[in-house]
Amino acid sequence: MNERVTTPYEGHHVDWDPDAEIEAPLRLHRTTARPEWMDYNEHMSESCYLLVFGDSADAFFRFVGIDEAYRAAGHSLYTSETHLHHRHEVALGEPLELTVQLLDHDRRRLHLFHEMRHGESGVVLASAEQLLVHVDMQEGRSADLPDELLGRLEAITAAHAHLARPDVVGRPMGIRRRA
Amino acid sequence: MAETGVPSEPFTAYRQPVRAEWLDYNGHVNDASYATVFSGAHELVLEDLGLSADYRASHQASMFTVETHLRYVAECSRGQTLTASTILVEADDKRLRLHSELYADGVLAATAESLYLHVDTTTGRVAPLPADRRARVEAMRAAQAGLPRPAHLGLGVGTRP
Repeated sequence: MNERVTTPYEGHHVDWDPDAEIEAPLRLHRTTARPEWMDYNEHMSESCYLLVFGDSADAFFRFVGIDEAYRAAGHSLYTSETHLHHRHEVALGEPLELTVQLLDHDRRRLHLFHEMRHGESGVVLASAEQLLVHVDMQEGRSADLPDELLGRLEAITAAHAHLARPDVVGRPMGIRRRA
Repeated sequence: MAETGVPSEPFTAYRQPVRAEWLDYNGHVNDASYATVFSGAHELVLEDLGLSADYRASHQASMFTVETHLRYVAECSRGQTLTASTILVEADDKRLRLHSELYADGVLAATAESLYLHVDTTTGRVAPLPADRRARVEAMRAAQAGLPRPAHLGLGVGTRP
């Protein structure tokens, strides 16, 4: 058991390449369902889905330039909301492939959609819709992203513009009764 | 609703000190750890309804979480005590929906809304709750029906009340 929550990408710095083609959606994280994520009946615990989405989000942050050095300079992205949809159970050892779609952004906020798929069958196992806010950590309040990072987000938005908007995005939760 | 014995107040049994393994690099409770905390708080409600681990073993059926919507309000850190206040928002014969407020030393830190489906674990299919459990769920729902609802209930991501 780790003393604290860690991600596989801690300490990794990614250089932004303005000429590289941007995947749509981005595929930045792959993993295998680990023994410590399993519950007593050998399925992944509900709360570990978010751990895996968090690792994918961390890979995305590094992709746009938000890493330890960026945070040490005083700013970071904070999660404001996360809406998870659990579609299928995950068994020990299953390969997991994560995708990230940038749905929208403004100067301070990012709206992301993550999918977790089975690495071989491609079946969608879960999704996470997230709203993130860029924060000045010293002030404890939201702050504009620097132009350099906004430019990167613009480039990703342009590359993702043709992707379909997933049908669960923005959908409220509730018990829908047949009329 | 006094005849059901279910109090007309939120369910507040959850109480846990912040654990070291929930923290991230800067000593705050990590985003993903809130899912662990809310799952623990909701499990106590399911236990109270007779729908937790014992039920799974005795009935070969279980409540599965299909959706969870977390809203992060304030950071929590080491040394704080977390408490939760949960209401059963709505239910039918196969589904129930819970909403929890999480407090760190009495200050609102996050909220979660979760939708659960009752699944027959032998077939993997959604199945109606047995009559006795359905009655317990309905008793809690009815007892809490008059409680104030948070304005964000049922709103999608990015939608403010």
